[in-house]
Amino acid sequence: MSQPLVEMRNIKKSFGRVKALKGVDFSVGHAEVVGLLGDNGAGKSTLIKVLVGYHQPDEGEIYFEGQLVRFSSPREAREHGIETVYQDLALVNLMPLWRNFFLGREIVRKFGPVRCLDRRTMKKIAREALSEIGIKVRSVDDTVAFLSGGERQAVAIARAIHFGAKLLILDEPTAALSVGETRRVLEHILEAKKRGISVVFISHNIYHVYEVADRLVILEHGEKIGDYKREEVTPQQVMDLIAAAAGVK
Amino acid sequence: MKKEKLTLPDFLRIKEFGAIVGVIVFLVLFSLLSNKFLTAENVFNTLTMAAELGIISIGVAMLIISGEFDLSVGSVFAVAPMIFAKMVNARYNPYLSLIVSLTVCAGIGLVNGTVTLKTGIPSFITTLGMMMFWRGILLAVTGGFPIMLSRKLDMLQYFGGRVYGGLRYSAVWFVMLGFVFWFVLEKTRFGNWVFATGGNLGAARALGIGTTRVKLTNFVISSVLAGFAGLTTFARFALVDPTFGQELELEAIASAVMGGTLLTGGYGSVIGACIGAFMISMVRNGLVLAGAPAYWYRAFIGVILIVAAVINARIRKKVAG
Repeated sequence: MSQPLVEMRNIKKSFGRVKALKGVDFSVGHAEVVGLLGDNGAGKSTLIKVLVGYHQPDEGEIYFEGQLVRFSSPREAREHGIETVYQDLALVNLMPLWRNFFLGREIVRKFGPVRCLDRRTMKKIAREALSEIGIKVRSVDDTVAFLSGGERQAVAIARAIHFGAKLLILDEPTAALSVGETRRVLEHILEAKKRGISVVFISHNIYHVYEVADRLVILEHGEKIGDYKREEVTPQQVMDLIAAAAGVK
Repeated sequence: MKKEKLTLPDFLRIKEFGAIVGVIVFLVLFSLLSNKFLTAENVFNTLTMAAELGIISIGVAMLIISGEFDLSVGSVFAVAPMIFAKMVNARYNPYLSLIVSLTVCAGIGLVNGTVTLKTGIPSFITTLGMMMFWRGILLAVTGGFPIMLSRKLDMLQYFGGRVYGGLRYSAVWFVMLGFVFWFVLEKTRFGNWVFATGGNLGAARALGIGTTRVKLTNFVISSVLAGFAGLTTFARFALVDPTFGQELELEAIASAVMGGTLLTGGYGSVIGACIGAFMISMVRNGLVLAGAPAYWYRAFIGVILIVAAVINARIRKKVAG
């Protein structure tokens, strides 16, 4: 692949006097899983929020599929195929699965100004899409509240895949999950990759990231302090790097 | 719907289940206490009495599901007929008066919503302020005296006139509006967004739903329905008192809660709110027929509200988590 899917160059972002990003370069290749690591406040979230248009960068350029872009909102980024799955902001617990699956992208039949939900089609597609990536649910009429944390992540990932995301950004997808569930979420990430989707995996946990990532990017105090191919480093080295950066400064 | 393996009996999935059981219980109870209770005439009466509260609670339920409150509905309930009566008495065209009064209601809803959403203060406070403000205006404008309609209007027949026996047009409107908003909430895309907005505001926003617009729309719906309900009641008496509709805002919330609506948003039912209003009307009517002193009515409703809320919460935990 000559050209990466996403390329962010020299991104700077300040909030008042706090320099959250001090000129970060970040790229994601096609069908590549990139682990984004760093301590709390390292700038991981800010970098992602700049990418998806939640924040506007003070300086720097963003290229998506070779085009210079500047998304004005996460919605616009989403229309271009950048899907972000936040920990608590992915699904609505009290709503049935099928409604969640199609939320914001409902299949409707228009009768004048009225947009009626095509329930049958949506339920059918949701059921198929979920089973296709190997998620078993009792019924798509069940509310999301009955799903475990891992299942919720899986549903959000399945949704992104179904709607043709090119880049999937997962914010701490394995936080607070059991070992078995973490395993399953990691498998879904690899499944997404197999389908040609690039993934940015934000996490504190180097071991989870290390299992699936092709490349590891480490941020600290708004600067990129490491960018390695998986084969180049061991988890221990990465941990030492993060610890050292935090300790030295 | 396809048959699927379910861990729960399907009937529990009906959000109005608790309210339906409640209605059946009171139906049996009052039928035993009074042989006048279960007559067509009395059912029509009950439905008509439920109508004014019911029409308000439809809008209130929609708004609560999207995560906001409206305490100003009781005042708006009086503002609409007051404007209407003043204009008609001043020889304005009755249709124009109707449009103006409902437009003012829509405006009040818009202000409720805009202030709440722009400043970030809770709608509980905004609409409490609006409730007091409009009640004060009503008292100031009328000097505390009721306003009577100085001429007879045929159009009012279609708001509060008799259809058949004790059945009035207000009851017909109630049933129709209940159906319309049930459809909007359950079957349309807008309804889907209402649930999402109240259920998880952040997620709804992240998925690109215009949550501000959803809430604003519901503020307007709530206000307009309250004004409309006021007009149906006014049509019956041709008289509007400045204290008209006091405490209706709380009864409307009670109806919604009895009907299974979750006060914190994201879950609820329009039909449930209608059944809740019907239940309140039924209890009021049943107690009178059973010969209980009228004073007992509020105490009774208070107990029912709490019991209903507990039962609904239990059911909801089972079906929706």
